[in-house]
Amino acid sequence: MKKPELLAPAGDLERLKWAIMYGADAVYIGGMNFGLRANANNFTLEEMQEGILFAHERKKKVYVTVNIVLHNKELKELTDYLKELEKIGVDAIIVSDPAIIKVAKENTSLEIHLSTQQSTMNKESAEFWKKEGVSRIVLARETSKEEIKEIIENVDIEIETFIHGAMCASVSGRCVLSNFLTARDANRGGCSQICRWDFDLTKDGQTVNFEKPFTFCTKDLSMLKYIPDMIELGITSFKIEGRMRSVYYIATVVDIYRKAIDSYFTDKTHYHYQEEWEQILRRCANRDSVPQFYNGISDETCQYYNGRMEISNQDFLGVVLNYNEQTKEAFIEQRNHFKIGDVVEFFGPGKEVISYEIKEILNENREVIDAARHPQEKVILKIEEKLEPNDLMRIKHQ
Amino acid sequence: MSSLDGDIFRILMFERCERMTKILTTLNQLNDYEKLKDFCDGFLLGINGLSIEYPSYQKEELLNFLPTLKKDKKEIFLALNKNMHNEDLTKLEEIMKIFDTKVDGFLYYDVALVELKQKHHFKTPLVWGQEHLTTNYLTSNYWYSFGASYTFLSSEITLEEIIEIKENAKAKLIVPIFGRLPMFVSNRHLVQNYYHYFEKNYEKGNYHMEKEGKSYPIIDSDLGTTVYSGHYLNGLKESLLLRKKEIDYFYCNSFDLDSSTFSKILECFYTVTEENWKEKEEQIENLLESNTDKGFLYKETVYKVK
Repeated sequence: MKKPELLAPAGDLERLKWAIMYGADAVYIGGMNFGLRANANNFTLEEMQEGILFAHERKKKVYVTVNIVLHNKELKELTDYLKELEKIGVDAIIVSDPAIIKVAKENTSLEIHLSTQQSTMNKESAEFWKKEGVSRIVLARETSKEEIKEIIENVDIEIETFIHGAMCASVSGRCVLSNFLTARDANRGGCSQICRWDFDLTKDGQTVNFEKPFTFCTKDLSMLKYIPDMIELGITSFKIEGRMRSVYYIATVVDIYRKAIDSYFTDKTHYHYQEEWEQILRRCANRDSVPQFYNGISDETCQYYNGRMEISNQDFLGVVLNYNEQTKEAFIEQRNHFKIGDVVEFFGPGKEVISYEIKEILNENREVIDAARHPQEKVILKIEEKLEPNDLMRIKHQ
Repeated sequence: MSSLDGDIFRILMFERCERMTKILTTLNQLNDYEKLKDFCDGFLLGINGLSIEYPSYQKEELLNFLPTLKKDKKEIFLALNKNMHNEDLTKLEEIMKIFDTKVDGFLYYDVALVELKQKHHFKTPLVWGQEHLTTNYLTSNYWYSFGASYTFLSSEITLEEIIEIKENAKAKLIVPIFGRLPMFVSNRHLVQNYYHYFEKNYEKGNYHMEKEGKSYPIIDSDLGTTVYSGHYLNGLKESLLLRKKEIDYFYCNSFDLDSSTFSKILECFYTVTEENWKEKEEQIENLLESNTDKGFLYKETVYKVK
């Protein structure tokens, strides 16, 4: 049984490096054009090249999203762009518009993955795409466990499924609420997430008044409990959603899923799902998460009616820049306020979590301060346990 | 009809034939046919369990109805546009077999239809109907090579884009020209979920979601949830230009309209000329209480905001 690939999102070069450092086998990124997250930082070709070099040195892969739905005017630049991607060594492109498949096949040798935007959820469609030269299909989020199994059993093609992150309320590709309500094109990367807006609902002309307003807002996806199940199904790649998510989110989610996958592969018989993993994931997101369609469930337990009060996360406290083994000092870059008396945790790729109570904080001038207040302030903490650059610091929840 | 009226009618009909742009519509119920048949050239009809956004029927109902349509020389397209799960494939294949060569086209969203057409060598052409994805001529030509002799264009492209596609596409084009436009499809039951979350009894009814003075019909059916535009697209004036550009078909959507109102509107589209379009447009505006707009015919969407 092959270990599945852990595929992480990377909105920019910094996130790419963090995702790989924290255990992703591959990352997916977007360029300045042709991607469905037009308002992420995205990568210039030069940044892509740097990111690909970084990844390949560590035997990891980089996939580039070319997954918009094309309008006529975008056709002109397409061929040159695909050739550039091939030149810089991209491992695959993720595509939803089949015109791009055709152009890629005619002009390059790029490996092609089919985006979830094509909403593939059955074996006949999968067979079609396989014949078209697609090497991997990212299945629709609406595909259940039994459906995934049937597709894998009947079609010899790599299958990728989402395991964590935000969910669309719609069938992917079948929502243009953003186009109509804000003139922002959802299928070219401009989605303004109307599905998370509140609306008044009326029935036969009368307002329907419940405690919270009507919305489509769905909970996030989390398949953490089902990792062994999904591995046994033979899914090729586990995809984490979130190219616009923070470094902290990406590092945390990748770290936890890396642990789960490796733990199962190391010793299947004694694999033990850890509640602590779930708690950590819950804390780093700002919405609840559930398995959704995998178990055939899409009822009210998947919805999120909170009157648009998603709580922003302040667990992420800092980044370890360096550690001096002689003086036992960690040099930290602050990312959220912390103070003397706080109990925190340090975590890093493949490492056990270290708990620590802050007893003293020094600023860069080695003056004692009571708190790290200022964004990206550099401070010094004394800690016995060895830390590594790029370990992360977060609040510990009792 | 007086002899003068008859002459005018014949001239108009002659012009219609010369113009060659046909009008397709749908039937909210089969009984509406008599009211609509004189003002359209064909229909898009759904099959229960395999279609969304189109009034849908049992296969027996349609098989029994086909002779009527054929007698009146109407074109018939089956809109099999649901996203298909594995469990739908047997029925889908059966429907395609039964209706093969009996209808003028199978409209698809899911490419399972393309695969099944190839596998079973079905003769009926396909209609590439992936809704918001049908936005450029290159992709239209791609699907044309797989038997999609028709492309049902997206409603989110401009007039200019439609014309450019016509100039470069091999398929016959179907352009949505009137009606509420589908904006959203979900497999989730979003209205029912709302009721159940707050432990209320859900009842079927006429639901709308409202925001900033606009009201959007929302339908929660067996197959999931669909949301439609707040306004009716009214492309009557633009239809004249598109006729000159030899667009093959217009689609007029009857959703949310009673047959009496809709038949008047359809007649406007069927009989519009350069000379009478203002009067016809005003008639439509009055019928719909000015709840119309031009959709995206003149509106380009943006996608980068920084």
